[in-house]
Amino acid sequence: MIGHILHINHVSKHFGGNVAVSDISFSVDEKQIVGLIGPNGAGKTTLFNCITGFIHVTSGDIIFDNKKINKLRPDEVCRMGMARTWQRVKPLGSLTVLENVMIGAFSITNAAREAEEIAIEQLDSVGLTDYAKKTAGSLSIGLKKKLELARVLATRPKMLLLDEICGGLNHTETDGILVIIREVRNKGATIVFIEHDMKAVTAICDWIVVLNSGEKLAEGTPEDITKNPEVIAAYLGGGQNA
Amino acid sequence: MFFLQSLLSGILTGGVYALAGIGMSLVFGVMNISNFAHGDLMMLGMYLAYFSFTLLHIDPYLSLLLIIPTAFLFGCIIEKVFIHRIINHPHQNQILLTIGLGLIMSNSALLCFTSDPKILTTSYSSSAVHIFGGISLSVPLIVSFLITCGITGILYVFLSKTTTGLALWATSQNREAAQLMGINVAKMSAIAFGLGTALAATAGALIAPTYYIHPMAGHTFLLKAFTICVLGGLGSVIGAGVGGVIIGVVESMSSTYLSSDWKDVVVFIIFLAVLLLRPQGLFGKKGEQ
Amino acid sequence: MLIAITAGIASVLPIVTGENPYVIGVMISVLMMAALSSAWNILGGYAGQYSFGHAAYFGAGAYTTMILISKFNFNPLVSIVAGIIAACIIALITGSIVFRLRGHYFGLASIAVAEIVRLSALNFDFTGGAQGILLSDVSLWGLDLNSKNPFYYGMLLVLVVTLGITLYLRTSKTGFYLQAIREDQDAAASLGINLSFYKNKALLISAALTSVLGSLYAVYIRFIDTSAVLDLRLSIEIILTAIIGGVGTLWGPVLGAVLLVPLAELLRSNVIGDALVKHGIVSETSGLGVFLKENLAHAHVLVYGIITVLCILYLPKGILGLFRRAK
Repeated sequence: MIGHILHINHVSKHFGGNVAVSDISFSVDEKQIVGLIGPNGAGKTTLFNCITGFIHVTSGDIIFDNKKINKLRPDEVCRMGMARTWQRVKPLGSLTVLENVMIGAFSITNAAREAEEIAIEQLDSVGLTDYAKKTAGSLSIGLKKKLELARVLATRPKMLLLDEICGGLNHTETDGILVIIREVRNKGATIVFIEHDMKAVTAICDWIVVLNSGEKLAEGTPEDITKNPEVIAAYLGGGQNA
Repeated sequence: MFFLQSLLSGILTGGVYALAGIGMSLVFGVMNISNFAHGDLMMLGMYLAYFSFTLLHIDPYLSLLLIIPTAFLFGCIIEKVFIHRIINHPHQNQILLTIGLGLIMSNSALLCFTSDPKILTTSYSSSAVHIFGGISLSVPLIVSFLITCGITGILYVFLSKTTTGLALWATSQNREAAQLMGINVAKMSAIAFGLGTALAATAGALIAPTYYIHPMAGHTFLLKAFTICVLGGLGSVIGAGVGGVIIGVVESMSSTYLSSDWKDVVVFIIFLAVLLLRPQGLFGKKGEQ
Repeated sequence: MLIAITAGIASVLPIVTGENPYVIGVMISVLMMAALSSAWNILGGYAGQYSFGHAAYFGAGAYTTMILISKFNFNPLVSIVAGIIAACIIALITGSIVFRLRGHYFGLASIAVAEIVRLSALNFDFTGGAQGILLSDVSLWGLDLNSKNPFYYGMLLVLVVTLGITLYLRTSKTGFYLQAIREDQDAAASLGINLSFYKNKALLISAALTSVLGSLYAVYIRFIDTSAVLDLRLSIEIILTAIIGGVGTLWGPVLGAVLLVPLAELLRSNVIGDALVKHGIVSETSGLGVFLKENLAHAHVLVYGIITVLCILYLPKGILGLFRRAK
């Protein structure tokens, strides 16, 4: 277990009679970029919700930074250094872009002035400085995704869970986000991200975990995964156009 | 004997509560709106029954034939003029708007009819039938209960067998999907609110012979109707029916064994307990927000 | 800054108006509603938790103070503090129930808790039941408590404190967190915000301020019953005042109170009906004239209803909302 920053150990999640996630295990090493892929309904977002404390696992353990986090609330998980973004962006719509990022920064400081400094710096690093005074609700989808990234980065996470951060973006925007993700990793953070865009996944990931119908289908390096016949049948074959 | 007496009268009163609860639940299910004017619509039903009795000399139960279509139309108009504009607003705005409409109704009634309570006295208002020797049941309550059962039955058939009923049901399940399937959801909202209003007014008319009629009478029933809906699961018609009977029995039992002063407190405590322990209600589906 | 200027102007107003008791009475009502609505605004406007049961905290302050003064001869200031404690206890119980709920359920539950408090006050003996509590005599440091002035300045002080707290919150971590909770609870939680801690914090601040106003009101009027201090209508008036001025703004609730309270007073005292008759627009003996004279005094709640409906339909962000966020 030592050396892994995140360890998913036989995790299952049932909703009533439905099994959304079934007996999934894998580990993430520090400073890795891990892609979590699979067709719609494979259980990716459910797994994210379990890890970040929004729902609790039915069985199994989630160990982050050598501590069991299955029973923690989302805010406790965040303060331990694990931050997430949302598949459907959740901007704090009537607040400004700067205020949005400040709210992220408040998890590491109590002073408004310091939070503002962190936020300004963070906005600069994702290229949103020009929009600082705009309300978050008025941004385009591409900028909202960037804002969401800036906001979680302001919590200074050890680990970042990104849920389709490139979804709905064009190629230039996607490339911009990938550059930021690489920089974040180079500064020492670990990243797990859900993505449909296989090109983006193979380009950036060190390791890929494939889910299908709530179960783990395969895991391996990008080269292995793209050659794995089971993966091709289940995911690449059926879901390429998605 | 006491127990049986209060159980039976609780069930009878509860039947009428159920009618009010069903109306509210229908509006909630189809439109996702908590209607805070529901109690005041009941109050209007009470006055309608009163005036058709005193001015037109129509028996309160017979006057339902007049009240139901009038109230339905009134509800449709209210929906078209006010409610449909706020269907996508935040909940608090919806609540405030219906509170405002309720204030307008109750205080217009206050201006027009004054605050003096009115009593609708029919020849059978205080008559009772005696069964098993010691138990007496009020005749108006029995008649009301039977009418409630009849109306609930008709409503159930309407909702489950007719095209409009099924369209209403579809809208309550998923508004967007219903729209995509070609259902006119705006029309469904108007119908739902009309039906809700008609049910509220009917419940009001049915209790008119046994209650004091005054402009603020709706308030007690409003919170009762909410409790019934939450108990049955907001949006569930059958749940509201059962919830109504449960609340009727709880009230009647707490009057008998505790004190009639505390019966409303008992109802609210149940309300909070249900919200906390089983927010989807006794009959609601799990996972619904 | 603006708060200091306004407070300065407000503090000399009683002298300017020549200490006319009627005018001061109306101004006390304005200040009280402004403060009540501002206190509600901390929870409802900033944290987005629309409490429909704030009368419970007002009543808690009023009842605690009245019982302690009239039955146990407490010092009024001590009894105000006791009122705060009572309100905070009710708030903590309420918070533990209602903050788990969202959307419709939150509003409904806040009403249910307030109704339980109201019915309890109505049915217990020590609260005076339906008769309420009458206070014959009260004294504090030789102040003339038969005059309205001490209460005017008392209400003004609470208003200034409330606005000061609001202003402080707006620029502090707590204020930012409350607004994040209002905008999106899931996003807030994912950013490390302990939802129930911050919601309860806002509720406690709001309830404590509301209870002080209840205590002041009770000693000022010297009579309370459930319909005066615990009624659902009071909770709704508080929200309505904030809505009309602008929810979630510093000055919105104050503006709402300045507009609404005098309007209600005009209707209640039937000034409009009298004026219509006096200027010969409506003849006093005509049916309409008699109707207006007899009934217009009851109409202020009707007017509140109409204003609510119009405001939600056409001005959901309030008057100040029109100017805000133009950027």
